[in-house]
Amino acid sequence: MSVRSFVFAAGFFLPQLVAGQASSLPVLASEATPIGALPPLALPMPASRDHNYWGTRLQVGQRRERGLEDLLAIAGGVDYQVRGGSIFGVTAGYQWRQNCQSATGDCGHTLYGARARFNLITGGPTIAGLLGDDGATSTLGTELGFGFAPDVSGNQNACTLDLGVPLSIAMLERLHLVTFLTPGIVWDLDCSAGDTRPQRSYFLGLGVGLQQLGFRGLDVHLGLQRMFRGATGVQFGLSVSWIRLP
Amino acid sequence: MHGLTRPLVCALALWAATGCRNQVTLEELEPAEIETTVFLVGDAGEPDPRQVGPPLDSLTAQAAAAPERSIILFLGDNVYPAGIPAEGAAEWADARRRVESQVRAVPPGAQGIFVPGNHDWSDGGPFGLYSIRLQERFISSFAPGRSVRLLPGNGCPGPVAMDVGRLRLVSLDTQWWLHSFIVRDSVSNCPTNSFATVTAALRTQVRPTGDARIVVVAAHHPLITGGVHGSYCGVTGPFRRFGGRSQDIMSSANRRMRDSLRSAFSGRPPLAFVAGHDHSLQVLRGGEDVDYLLVSGAGSPSRVSCAVRMRESYYVSARSAGFMRLDIMKGKGVLLRVFRYPGRSTGALVYSRWLEPR
Repeated sequence: MSVRSFVFAAGFFLPQLVAGQASSLPVLASEATPIGALPPLALPMPASRDHNYWGTRLQVGQRRERGLEDLLAIAGGVDYQVRGGSIFGVTAGYQWRQNCQSATGDCGHTLYGARARFNLITGGPTIAGLLGDDGATSTLGTELGFGFAPDVSGNQNACTLDLGVPLSIAMLERLHLVTFLTPGIVWDLDCSAGDTRPQRSYFLGLGVGLQQLGFRGLDVHLGLQRMFRGATGVQFGLSVSWIRLP
Repeated sequence: MHGLTRPLVCALALWAATGCRNQVTLEELEPAEIETTVFLVGDAGEPDPRQVGPPLDSLTAQAAAAPERSIILFLGDNVYPAGIPAEGAAEWADARRRVESQVRAVPPGAQGIFVPGNHDWSDGGPFGLYSIRLQERFISSFAPGRSVRLLPGNGCPGPVAMDVGRLRLVSLDTQWWLHSFIVRDSVSNCPTNSFATVTAALRTQVRPTGDARIVVVAAHHPLITGGVHGSYCGVTGPFRRFGGRSQDIMSSANRRMRDSLRSAFSGRPPLAFVAGHDHSLQVLRGGEDVDYLLVSGAGSPSRVSCAVRMRESYYVSARSAGFMRLDIMKGKGVLLRVFRYPGRSTGALVYSRWLEPR
């Protein structure tokens, strides 16, 4: 296999590779790594430029309507927000198939990811005017993520690279309500030993959240994601994140 | 998962409702209980040449109700676009008008204090030191026999402390820290003339004797802000940083100044650091070095601009003129009130908070 195909290739259908396990549905690499296994998040809320902030995150996501088996994932993460703006995070979690039909017991796997989210433009008087809320803040950014899930089935690993263009609109004074939309693209990378077909998927994430929920660093988001590829169903989940303020 | 969704949504709604119950009520105080009232208005250096409008007229009306206990604090950028020019310049008469309209907003019997801003220093130009001295002379000439003055004066960095009842008001000229041209000459005679001496003097002045004293530090440049100078509102932080404008929070010169000021506060946090510079109204959580950060730079309706809500924000008002009012109560209690004027004839009290509980 060429280096090129290793870098930019290869979606795979894992259980297809396991002879005799036809009753277990295929899981795409992009479903097995954090980009598809966990719910989308809004761009980080702005904060003072005087500090860098550490935060933690808990996410639960379920991918439904993809056939017999739903995929349920739970993960935790650590985030680092630089100067109140862009945020870098790592994630580790576990995903398993509900109603798993695999005879070999390959019904779950760990997943890992790294993600950078960059705020590019904030403010948005036009959007604030449209919403009739002077305090509304829109943020346009970009996010780049890498995901890895080892031994998704047998010795097959899943790797993905994704790029998104998130837009968040936060409004209201006491309760900080944020809605967000993230169109993007995900590439399944071949990080196993076999030849696989190149695959690329488009996705759309959206959701709502409440920021500073009772505590200044606490955010809760509900997210939904649709991947425009085959029977991948719909991802739905909840994220709770906490940023530590000095 | 469906089974989990309903309880989660209900829990969120309950949590949200708990947050709503903490709405700050709009307090009305007995006038006899108020010891000192400080009005905070910044960046008011572009008044309408045709008529006096909000927020200055409303501020004047409130101060005139009890002028003997009122202090009006103009938080810099008193003359746009570039301070007072040399006499004979085409802009001279208009610059004079801009100062005069603000001095006239101080009712007889009240005190007026003007803090210098970057635009008053000839917009950071080489004429800055002389421009700020001209402004000081103008202010004095418009208010003969009245207590209206520029603090710190003579182009000095300060700090200058003033005690009024329980209040200790400390004024700083933060543009002195950021100016790229001459900041002292043979007639300066400033008690402090280096970063170190300013910081040391500030450290002393924010530690008054007597536990009951309220310390408020006033300057033009904010310590944090969610406005344009905080690298928000438009292309954000890391990209604006390449511009290297000392007026912006992310520049190294600005950071050095803010770090020095904060170091002077450590161990004895002032109640509030009040500033202008960004043309919005922001009430912010100060952190370890200062309890509250107030940005009140919406004194000119034609200059109001964007501000984003940050994690430190208690209240943000963007794109509307307005001012803040601090009522220092006899004995104990400091109430902050924010007045906002979205239109020429509309305006109201929009936020209040006890900075020191009663």
